[in-house]
Order: sequence, then C-alpha cells, then structure tokens
Amino acid sequence: MTDLLTYVIKGVPLGCVFALLAIGLVLTYKTSGVFNLAFGAQAFLAAAVYYDVRVRHGWPTLPAFSFAVLVVSPLVGLLLERLIFRYLRTASPLAKLVSALGLLVALPSIVQLWLGKGQTFGVVGIWWDDNALYRFGDFVLDGKQMAILVCTGAAVVALGLLFRYAPIGLRMRAVVESPRMTELAGVNADRVGGFSWMLSSLFAGLAGVLLAPSFAQLGANDFTTLLVAAIAAAAFARLTSIPLALLGGILLGVGQALLAGYLPPASLLARNLRPSLPFIALFLLLLFWPGLRTATQSKDPMAGVDPPPLPPAAEERSHLLTVGTRVFGVVVFGVLVLLSLTTFSSYWLLIFTQAAVYSTIFLSITVITGMGGQVSLAQATFAGIGAFATAQIVDTWGFAVLPTMLVGALVAAVIGALLAVPALRLGGLFLSLGTLAFALMFQYVLVPMEWVGGGLTPLEMPRPAGLDDDKAFFLFCIAVLAVVSVIVILIRKGTTGQFLDALRGSEVAAQSIGINPVRSKILVFAVSAGIAGLGGALLSMQEGEANPVRFEYTWGLFFVVIVVTLGARTVEGAINAGLGFMLMPEVLKWVGLPASWQFVVFGLGAITYAKYPDGVLEANKRKSLAFIDRHLPKRFRTGPDRGGPGAAAPVAPADVAVPTGGAS
Amino acid sequence: MELVGMRTRRFARVLALLGALAMVGAACSNAESDGASKDSNADSEATKTVDQPGVTDDTIRVGGVASISNPLNAPYGDIFTGVKAYFDMVNSEGGIYGRKLEVVSERDDQIANNLREVQGLLSQDDVFAAVGMATIFDFSGAEELEKAGIPTFGWNINEDWTGKANLFGNAGALCIGCPTVDLPWIAQELGKKKVGILAYGVSNSQKCAEGMRDSFEKFPSAEVGFYSDSLSFGTTDFSVEVGKMKDAGVDFVTTCMDTNAVLALGKELRKQDVDAIQYLPNGYDQEFMEANGEFFEDSIVRVPFRPYESQTKTKGLRDYLKWMKKAGKTPNESTTYGWINASMLLEGLKAAGPDFTQQKVVDALNQKTDVDADGLLSGIDWTTQHDDATPPLACAAYVKVTDGKFVSAFVPKGKAYVCMKEKATLDDEPTYE
Repeated sequence: MTDLLTYVIKGVPLGCVFALLAIGLVLTYKTSGVFNLAFGAQAFLAAAVYYDVRVRHGWPTLPAFSFAVLVVSPLVGLLLERLIFRYLRTASPLAKLVSALGLLVALPSIVQLWLGKGQTFGVVGIWWDDNALYRFGDFVLDGKQMAILVCTGAAVVALGLLFRYAPIGLRMRAVVESPRMTELAGVNADRVGGFSWMLSSLFAGLAGVLLAPSFAQLGANDFTTLLVAAIAAAAFARLTSIPLALLGGILLGVGQALLAGYLPPASLLARNLRPSLPFIALFLLLLFWPGLRTATQSKDPMAGVDPPPLPPAAEERSHLLTVGTRVFGVVVFGVLVLLSLTTFSSYWLLIFTQAAVYSTIFLSITVITGMGGQVSLAQATFAGIGAFATAQIVDTWGFAVLPTMLVGALVAAVIGALLAVPALRLGGLFLSLGTLAFALMFQYVLVPMEWVGGGLTPLEMPRPAGLDDDKAFFLFCIAVLAVVSVIVILIRKGTTGQFLDALRGSEVAAQSIGINPVRSKILVFAVSAGIAGLGGALLSMQEGEANPVRFEYTWGLFFVVIVVTLGARTVEGAINAGLGFMLMPEVLKWVGLPASWQFVVFGLGAITYAKYPDGVLEANKRKSLAFIDRHLPKRFRTGPDRGGPGAAAPVAPADVAVPTGGAS
Repeated sequence: MELVGMRTRRFARVLALLGALAMVGAACSNAESDGASKDSNADSEATKTVDQPGVTDDTIRVGGVASISNPLNAPYGDIFTGVKAYFDMVNSEGGIYGRKLEVVSERDDQIANNLREVQGLLSQDDVFAAVGMATIFDFSGAEELEKAGIPTFGWNINEDWTGKANLFGNAGALCIGCPTVDLPWIAQELGKKKVGILAYGVSNSQKCAEGMRDSFEKFPSAEVGFYSDSLSFGTTDFSVEVGKMKDAGVDFVTTCMDTNAVLALGKELRKQDVDAIQYLPNGYDQEFMEANGEFFEDSIVRVPFRPYESQTKTKGLRDYLKWMKKAGKTPNESTTYGWINASMLLEGLKAAGPDFTQQKVVDALNQKTDVDADGLLSGIDWTTQHDDATPPLACAAYVKVTDGKFVSAFVPKGKAYVCMKEKATLDDEPTYE
C-alpha cells in the first residue's frame, strides 16, 4: 500500500505536464474545431524564447517567464488564429488537420533555425531554486516539481473561474455551442475565437517552460513526443471536458510510474509495455472510449457532406493542350532519363533514383488522401513494414528479392487492412491520430526487436539479380513507378474510385445506393499500405539495407505535408512531390540555406491546403491553363459547358455550395 | 504591339527554360569533371606530379560528412573545426609535398541522408580523402566509401567502421556489448559494491547495458543490484528507478543513455539522497559539466583520448590546444576527433611518400602499429585493429568530476591512460601510459 501511494505521488508531477498540454488541446478544439497537432511545437517555441531571454540574455526569472508565457505565447496563438485558422472555421476537418500538421512540421524547424546550432545547456526553471528539496513526510519534491504542481493548480483554477464567472468565458462557451447564434446575440465570434487561441497557446507556453528544465538542453523531439501522451489525455476527455483532460493527464503520469514500480525492470513486458504506454493508451482510447465518437459528432446538418472535388485540370483542358502537354511531359521525362543514364554523375543518378522511389511511396498518399479523403500519418511506417518484411524473408529463407518485395508489400497491405478495420470506426481526425499512435508504437516498440528491424545493425537488403548496376536499378525504379502509377489511375477511374468519390461526398447517400463503405475503405487502406510497402522495399534495395532511420514516424508526417502541398489527387502530384523531396535540399544548398529549410517551406506550404485542396501546383496549372485557353484560337478552346479550367477558382470543398463541373 | 510583347515574353520564357535545362545538365554532370589540372609544374623537389582525385599542384582537397543538424543539438559538425585547425598548423609550416591541405566540403547528412551525402562527397566534391566523418546514428555510406577505396577518417562510434581497410576511426574496431574488465576494475578501485545499470528500451542501448551486466558477471568486483533496460527514450522521470536503487543499496550507477537522461538521473539521485556516483561513458563535455557539475560530483567519465586536463601534455595535446585557441574555438570531443583524423591523414601521406596515391596512403597506414596523433591517442595498431575489437593492450583515460571540472583519475602523476591486457582479470595490475 505504501509502495502504491509512493508510485502514485511520483507520477503526479509528470502527469500535470501531460494535463497542461491536454487542457490546451481541448480548449482549442472546443472553441475552434481545430485539433492543434502543433501544440507541442508551440510549447517548444515558448521554452526556446524563455531559454533565450533567461539564459542567453540573463533576464531575471519573472520577466523571462512573463515574456515567454504571457506575451509571446498568446501572441503566437493570436497570429495563428488571425493568419491561418480564422479562415478555416468552415473548412473541412481534413483541411484543419492538414494545416495543423503543416505547422507541426514547420514550427520546430523555424525555432531551431532561430536558436542556432549551438548546444543549449543549463535551462533554468521558474522556481526560486530548482534543486531545493521540499519534504512532505516520506515524500520529497524538488523546485521544478513544485513549480509544475503549483502552476497547474493555479492555471486550472483560473480557467475554471474564467469559464464560470468572466463574460469572456461565457462567450467562449456560447461560441462553442453555436457561433451563428452567438453572433446574432451581438457577440463578435472572431474576437472570442482569437481569445481562445491566445489562451490555449498560453497553456502550451506554460507547459513548455515548466518542462524545459527537465532536459539537459532544448530539443524539439522531446516536446513533440510528449504531445502523444497529451493527445491520449485529451482523448480521455472526449476532446471536450477540461476537468477530464486534467484527470487523464495525471492518470497517464501515474500509470507510467506504476508500471515502472511494479513491472520487473528487465522483463520482456517492461521492455515493451513501458515505452509504449502513451501510444497504447491513445490507441485503445480511440477505439473503445465510449464517449469519444458521440461527443465529437457535429451538429451541423451539412457536416460530412462534401461536394465532389473538381476534376483535375488535365481533364478539363482542350484536346490540343492535352496532346501538347503530354508530348512535352514525355520529352522532358525522356531527356531526364537519358541524361541520368548518360551524363549525370552517380550522385545525381542516386537523387533521381530516390525521387522515383519516393514518388512510388507518395502514390500511397494519393490513394489514401487524394482518393479516400483520409489522412494516414503512418505511410512511412508502412514503407518500413514492406522493407523490413522483405529483408527478413530474404535473410531468413534466402528467397529471391524480387518476388519477396511483392510479399513485403503484401505484408504491409495486410497490416494496413487490419489497422483499418478498427480505425475506420473512428474516421477523420481520430483515424489520423490512430495511425499516428500506430506509427509511434511501431517505431519505439517493434522496430528495435531483432525479428522486425534487425536490432543493432540495419538489415541487409540485396538488389535483384542483374540490377547491381545503378543505372539498371534506376530504370527498374522507373518501371515500378510507371506500373504503380497505372494501377492508381485505374483505381481512380474504376469502380473503387467512383465509390470513394461518392463516399467522400456523403457516406449515407453512398450507402443508400448500395456502396459498402467499410469494404471500400479497407480496400483503399490496404492498397495504400501495400504501395508504401513496395516503395519502402525499393528504397532499402537502393541503399543496400533496411534502415529504421528512413521510416521514423516524423517522415510519415512530412510525407503527408509535402504531397498535399504539391498535389494529393493526381499521379503527377506524387511525382512532383518525389522530385521536390529530393531536389529541394539541392536548391537550398545552392542558395546557401540549411537543408532544414525544406521543412519550413513544405510545412508552411501545407497551410495552403485549405485554399488549394488539389495542391499548389494543380492550382497554378489551372490558372496557367485558363490563361492559355483564353489565348487559343476559339476552335481549340475548352468547351463552355465544362466551365473551363480556372473558371471557378479552386476553393475548399466545404465552401462549395454547388458542385461545378464534372469529369469528362 | 501587345501581341508582339507577349510573343517576346513567350520566347524569353522558352529561352529561360532551355537555359535552365542546360544548367541542370551542366550542374548534374560536373561531378565527373577531372580533379583539376594535374600537369604539375613542380616547384620544389618534393612536389611530384600526382594524378589523384582532389590533388592539384598546390592543394590537397578533402571533405567530410557529419550529422551537423541532429536532434540532440550535439556539435558533431565541430569535427571540421578540428580538421581545419590541424590543417592550419600543417599549412603554416608549408603544407606537405609543397601542397596545402584544404577542407573543401562539409556535408550535413541530417542523420537520415548519409548515403546520399557520401555519394555527393565521392562524386561531386573532388576530394582526395574523406576527413571528419561524424555520423553517429547512421553510417549507411560506409560501404560506398569502402568500395571507392578513399582514405576515410572519422569518429568511430558504430560498428560500420569495423572490417573496412580504408576506414580509420579515432579507435579500432568496436564491440558494443562485449564484456570487459575496465568497468568492474573502476568499481573495485572506488570500493563500490552495488551497481545500478540503466538503458533505454532500444537495441543499441540495451546491448550496451547487457555488456556492462556481463562484465560484472565475468569480473565480479560488485553486484548488479538494479538493472533496467526498458526506459522510454526521452524519459526524464527516474523517481521510481532511483527509489528502487536506493532500496537495493546501489552506490555506483552506470548508463547507456544521452545527456538529458543522465542529468535527470543525477538530479533524482540527489533528490532522493542516494549516496551513489555515476559512470558516464559519453560525458566528456566541458560545457555540459560546467552547467550541471553539481549533480555529478565525484562521477567518473571515460575519455577515449588524452584528456585536456592531463598533467603531462604531449606534443599532440599541446599543439591541439594551441591551434584551437588560435582558431578561437573551444575544444570539445568533436574538434578533438577532427584533429586526430587530420593527423592520421598526414601520417599516411608522409608514409606514402611524394608520389602518394589514395591506395598508398591506406596501405601505409595499415602497416603502422602505433598511430597515436602525437600522443593524443594511446596508440592504434592498424595491422590488426580494423577487425580486432580486443587488442593486446586496451587503454582508456578517466576523469573525475570535481566542482564542475574534470580531473584525471586512477593514473599516477605524469600518466594519462589506464591500460588492461587482453585477458586481464581483476587481480592483474593495469599498466599506465
């Protein structure tokens, strides 16, 4: 009993940090409908600002704390709301999620670039003396923990009072219930929304500054990993209840302490269960927490009814332009292949080979996001599953690598389908979070195992017979990309694609005409995972080893960001993303910028998703085609009954009242 | 008029596009361009025409790949600072064979792009040697470097360095997880009786912890009282673990974790009033210890080279400190490895002679039995240590943390290294160098 109490008390301070982050997440979600995945990044930003003024510039603690938490953090929240999320109030959940994802990718890199490359040791806490010890009977707390407990308590009480007694609190609650009704009552919903963002950002900043002294130095990863625990606590709170978010965070902290206390420290169970507790908790909550689905069902009668997306610009242009564009595309592609085989150095050959491989992986996002309308944050993980499965089978049974690659893809597809069965119960945001939990669990729990990731050294991966030469392998990758592209196009144009379009529009309506949503979605999940697995196996062949570094969950986030920025609905978009992924670092080198700028560029690019759901390039293509169309002789122009490319400016699906245009 | 303007603009765009394509072609193909003019007009007796990549009449070009951007904020990129400081010293004395040594490329693999950057180094940068390879997490380019046969020098911290004849690290082959006598010997010297071992639940860390545990089983100077290899990466809460160690009477804690974790552990040990010190295999960082020394008082840090605090400073250490000061840089582990790497290259060049080639440098170094960077290392026998992780005599330096500073430990005055024979036991007295 004494042990139990000891472990419970030891888990509370860490649980309070989870709780602070969870409360901020819930607060944002409640008042704006945005599940702010960038919350950990905001915490990191506040911690970095605090470190800079407190340690580098020698400010006293109170002004430094006030500046980072009470000034910068709310300001960042306000900026995010004014510049980005204000315009997403009526956007689809997908657009909101992708925008937050873009920030999650961009913000830590921006902060890191600002902090510079030097080490950031010596973060000082906000308590009078971080290392002072306070004894309460048998229990000892240090200054850092006292600060966490006191600040969490004060913040929660203040928040409760705000909601209960302050007019702004009442307005915030009203905006959550019904923004339109609130505005009719003369309340400026925009202003209230801005205040909510400031408040939630303040919570992120507070958590960041309280947490910073726990680390030897500041690192973005420490903050983003903690976010998973906070997401689990927020899920426990059904994304609506602040007291439950507090309780969920504390329970998770206590749970970790109990596992540490009661599991034999070197046991297999401890090895696997302890590190994965937050991910498992999140996954189980998403699947089985009863209130989660009902609590998040929108009251908006138009919710879940997306009009069919505009057809790709390529399908709307005139025949002449189509022929001309295709000829141009084939010529450029042919020239690039020819140059790769004859002129380019081995370095550039590697770049274009990997561009082809990544394009193949990115086609999996074309399928799941572009066609299925779902965001999977585990595509890098599925690529890893394909790679590890292939490498393990080749290594264990000595099978030929070429057919085994297909087996690896199949393994990824089966796991994708198995994951889809429970995950599809969730849908939308929760499906994305479920895939994130799966990706984290795979990375931290399964990959370190010998029978999965190979243990200490990466698994070797041979190339298929006859493809040892880099040029031959390049052609092989191009061939695989071509085959997968054709498959994706066939799926999009076939029955499955039509079903998925219908399901995106209205699941109920689709069901009423006999479409089985579960079967279609499982199929698309499996196909997507299989394509990613195939690409992962290719990547490992190219590198000669199945290296876990390539398949970390953070790549999964970045893959989504880069593909939706450049175009998630078309094969061309995936190929552009593959080329962009490989060539952007070269461009940055050329202009003298660090390679990490690519995360800033594409992360911020993803924010444009709400405005350009087909991707920036597709939007520009529409504009270009419209321009060209205007200058073509009349007989070559696009038919007036089809509206013409760019006739309707690309808009977020939720903003479209009446579908315009259709596929020819 | 407008039509003409438009046509002109279109024409200009077509020209720009063609120009861009031509530039891409040119940029992409520049790699195979020759390694500069090699029709040397030797201006000194020592300068001979050398037809090798990266070698001109007056320069020997080198480059490297390091994880400059990394999530630990570790200064791996500083390895180039050490290389350049050494080259400054050599160049100030006229260089070698009438040529200056120059670092022409410092590639950042951002951890995940090692193979790509190594390919770039080999095919784009026109270098004679790869110097300053600090790729801590992923060295997937090792095979390419081996295939290319290019003399390669870097920070050996993973097993990719093992068994490759042209790869020269700051140490010979590593065996992570092999039991050794040195850690039990330290516990014995300090009179410690109960050991706590902590590691992350990831394979490298677990393997390292297993090696420590096996060491104490094989050389039982102390009992392992607490063992955990299931910690989450990034954890900062060790309250439960420390509580258990306290109950078990642990007085000597050793870990296979990063600085975040050992700091949190140090704080928790102090908070729970545990009378134990830490052994830090990777803690030789003056900046870190200056900021956090109070939590590591009396802890022991292993140093793979002659510590800066050594009472007897060899020529290598004196030169290193002097030229780092000249460069205005603070010495750290990375800069030291850079210096050692550059020193090995020079030793290889000298041994290869004025008509040196990449192969000759590799061959010459592989005949050397005591490569020590003028006393900065205890000496590597490259005739065996590419493969053999258990050399006849294994030496390491140790420092103790006192008031946030490092002080040499376990060695008599004037010595820096504690050396153990290959099959030494706890009863064998080590030698000191």
